Amino acid sequence: MPLTAMQVYKNLPKSHANCGDCGFPTCMAFAMQVAAKQKAITDCPHLSEESKGAMADASAPPMKLVRIGPPGEAGVEIGQETVMFRHEEKFRKPPALAVTIAASLSDEEALARLERINAAVFTRVGEEIGVRLAAVDLEGLSAGAAAARVKALAGKSRAPLVLMSASPAALAGAAKAVADRKPLIYRASGSDAEAVIGIAAENKCPLAVHADSLEALADLAKAAKDRGVEDILLSFDGRDTARSIREITRARRAALKKGFRALGYPAMVDVAVDDPLKETVLAGTFAAKYAGVILLNGLDGAELLPVLTTIQNIYTDPQVPNTVEAKLYEIGNVNENSPVMFTTNFSLTYFCVEGEVERSKMPSYVCVVDTEGLGVLNAYAGDKLSPEKVVKTLQAQKVADRVRHRKLIIPGLLPSFRAEIEDISEWKEVIIGPENASGIPAFLTANWK
Amino acid sequence: MQVADVTEKWTNRINTVTLGATREQGGTRGRTVTVGGETTLPFLTFEGEIPNRPAIAGLVADVVPDGWPDVLTAAVGDAIRSPAAWARRCVDDLGVDLICLKLLGADPSGRNLPPGECAKAVRAVLEAVDVPLIIWGCGDENKDNEVLPECSQAARGENCLLGSATEKNYRTMAAIGQADKHKLIGEAPVDINIAKQVNILLQDAGFDLNDVVMNQVTAALGYGFDYVYTIFERVRIAGLKGDRHMALPQIANVGWEAWKVKEALADEDVLPGWGKLKERGPRWEAATAAGYLQAGADIIVLAHPDAIKVTRESIGELMG
Amino acid sequence: MILVGERINTGFKDIKQAVLDKDPGPLREWAQKQAAAGATYLDVNLGAVSADAAVMCWMIEQVQSVVETPVSIDTNKASILAEAIKVCNKPPLINSTTAAQEKLDAFLPIAAEHNASIIGLSIDETGTPKSADGRVEKAGMVLAAATEAGIPPEHVFLDPIVMPLKYMQDQMREILEAVRQFRLFSDPPPHIICGLSNVSNGTTHKKLINRTFLVMAVGCGLDAAICDVTDGDLVDAAKTAELVMNREIYADSYIKPASA
Repeated sequence: MPLTAMQVYKNLPKSHANCGDCGFPTCMAFAMQVAAKQKAITDCPHLSEESKGAMADASAPPMKLVRIGPPGEAGVEIGQETVMFRHEEKFRKPPALAVTIAASLSDEEALARLERINAAVFTRVGEEIGVRLAAVDLEGLSAGAAAARVKALAGKSRAPLVLMSASPAALAGAAKAVADRKPLIYRASGSDAEAVIGIAAENKCPLAVHADSLEALADLAKAAKDRGVEDILLSFDGRDTARSIREITRARRAALKKGFRALGYPAMVDVAVDDPLKETVLAGTFAAKYAGVILLNGLDGAELLPVLTTIQNIYTDPQVPNTVEAKLYEIGNVNENSPVMFTTNFSLTYFCVEGEVERSKMPSYVCVVDTEGLGVLNAYAGDKLSPEKVVKTLQAQKVADRVRHRKLIIPGLLPSFRAEIEDISEWKEVIIGPENASGIPAFLTANWK
Repeated sequence: MQVADVTEKWTNRINTVTLGATREQGGTRGRTVTVGGETTLPFLTFEGEIPNRPAIAGLVADVVPDGWPDVLTAAVGDAIRSPAAWARRCVDDLGVDLICLKLLGADPSGRNLPPGECAKAVRAVLEAVDVPLIIWGCGDENKDNEVLPECSQAARGENCLLGSATEKNYRTMAAIGQADKHKLIGEAPVDINIAKQVNILLQDAGFDLNDVVMNQVTAALGYGFDYVYTIFERVRIAGLKGDRHMALPQIANVGWEAWKVKEALADEDVLPGWGKLKERGPRWEAATAAGYLQAGADIIVLAHPDAIKVTRESIGELMG
Repeated sequence: MILVGERINTGFKDIKQAVLDKDPGPLREWAQKQAAAGATYLDVNLGAVSADAAVMCWMIEQVQSVVETPVSIDTNKASILAEAIKVCNKPPLINSTTAAQEKLDAFLPIAAEHNASIIGLSIDETGTPKSADGRVEKAGMVLAAATEAGIPPEHVFLDPIVMPLKYMQDQMREILEAVRQFRLFSDPPPHIICGLSNVSNGTTHKKLINRTFLVMAVGCGLDAAICDVTDGDLVDAAKTAELVMNREIYADSYIKPASA
């Protein structure tokens, strides 16, 4: 976060008020120069070490980037968020889903579940999404058994591990066994907090911390940091929904808006419940509200897809228009006599057209032209949509092979395209459609056949 | 250690809208439903108050929706064939706060029922249940201009929520809303500037903005949800900061939109590995609803009984 | 945009006469007129008509008897402020303190105690600075002192001191530059306000000059003004400038009055 003039001014030494040694007549003038990035804070020759530290802290990123797992592609990175609302800029690091492997499972069952976690990867709108962490529950296991369990799973896991236990001994055994894989230690809490912090520090692993109040949580995070733990997650109980949303929001605001370092870490939310529908709702809720890791039981596509899609949507960059693939779409049971129309690849435009064609109950071909995500009028104004481009797209998509007629419905906003398309292509009967997608059903009823 | 104080000081209250009229108020409803009135962002009760919990409206159509997958129609059950029975199922079995009657039968590209038939459905639902009613047109502009006045009259004095007033038809809608004492849904096509404009126009037409609920045209999860989510948030923030044209409760028609998308229509045979539609469909709807609740929805319209149940439970927990 | 209606000021003949006669009519009328025009605060200025705090209280009460709009207590006397603030129904805007230590010591505790906002003029006992840097220096002193006194930055309105264009043309760019720099003070930044009408003192095209200066200042970060809120063109220009700064959400009919 850039320093404000007031933050700088507050930290300038009162003992040398307005001494002028920095070359500026007053401390306020100097503080303004620092805020405007014209001068460095160190240009004040009388700055105390304490003030230097305070200001280095204040100018660091407000939320730390946290890494779980080994360096390189296999690792999971979360955190480093900068805003409270996606429209203010964007959300940066999509939350990772961590799916549990229960301690009560036999070795074979645990392995089978891990394999399902490995396979829980989906492709949606061209993007690969899926489960990114395997959360190994070690509850009730001895240190030796815990170490054996994680060792058996670690080598076979696509995803970095979360080690879960209330017992410091089990965590210590497990962490030591797979320390090179940098698993997340879950979690430092209650009377054993210090012991668990020690395990994370010793094995140089990321750590989740949990406390009953935000104030105690800040203390704990600071204690972990002071012990040398770099990667910290603030852990919340998602089943205590109302309270957790408020606390996560307060923690994030404190970090992002007040530069409050002790809470400048991503959140981890445990939403694991037996009912998959309820778990879906909780996971979706915390995907919207600031979770960096979501811990859940669900491993079925029917639960993961809605949650992963929520994440995908919320973490889309609002400054970059969403697009759909530029191809020929068949809506309904089309045949060789079905209407043909074209539109842009701006997703909202396409979804509107698709929805209205469905409403019309007239199976149709929709040829989507690549307009780089711009809507009809913007694409036209920006030279991304021209009669030539439409004709080329129709050819590339071999639309003429699909229908016997040569009638093409064009957006009502582009009446001038008619003559030119008729001129330069085989589409000899160009029909000017409605200006808004909402007019499509009425238009097709009135004008097709 | 003490945590930095991050309480926001919002200066404005979101309008409070009460739907339904009891006998004393000139209607026949057994109860009314009040939404809005927030002085803070969703569920952040540490810096303001949320006097009314978000309301759930059970989606009922006057005719059987023909695009719905079997898993949805089967879950609604036989009641789907009668708007009155369907409404009763929503109220008695599922505990919804209101009924949202979608006049699907009016659609010219569907059954194209005359206005009189639609008004009959309105009366049937009013007689069947005693909760407040949302009456929503079929979406065809011209047809709705014929249908809504008649349906509005059929529900005269019941203080329904009529949908929807747009940039084009706001004068008509304001007139019928005033004549028959109903509230209005102001609608804009995923466009925050038009959303504000519709409200200004309604106000200019003499319609009180305290009687309007905003609809941004709901998008299903995965299909423009991010745009609408952000419009909900921006509208709410602007309203809390003092923009009186944005300080209105918002409605999300989740049930209607969620069941139109591939993920809520196609089973495992089409989407291998994506789980059974029977489970995925209601979860798609419920997750969409969960998202809009976080963005500031005051009324959520839902279709699947399971989605209604889990959302009701979730709202209870969020308000806790 | 935070607009402070300037009209209830004994510098205007009708108000002066009304205060002398204890005639509430003109005060109430201007209160209603300015509130209807969208004023966020109504400035109440007793001027030199009286040194009696009771008269100031009477003026405020007249305003509050007809409108809900909070007042701006316009006085440089802490003794009058201390009495006047007690009769305010809503937290007022205090107009104003300077950077002079004596003033800060007197005004800030009263503002803090009543949860009021306060205007800080970028001047001190040595007078008005001529440069942007000088203004920033003084305004910074006010903001720092206000923070010390427990007043959050969103309750502080910094005023760069607007000069008459006709007589001090060379000052205009310094004033705008000061506004730009005020924004760097804190996050969230303090409000930035000016007494607008001063810029057009003695000129022929008063309204045009007011409007133009206001728009340029909003472009630099100004978000409040003490001005003639009944000047429709001025208010429309301010609203448009807010849209350009992306502080308000655009709608085609954005300049229709909200009360229409």
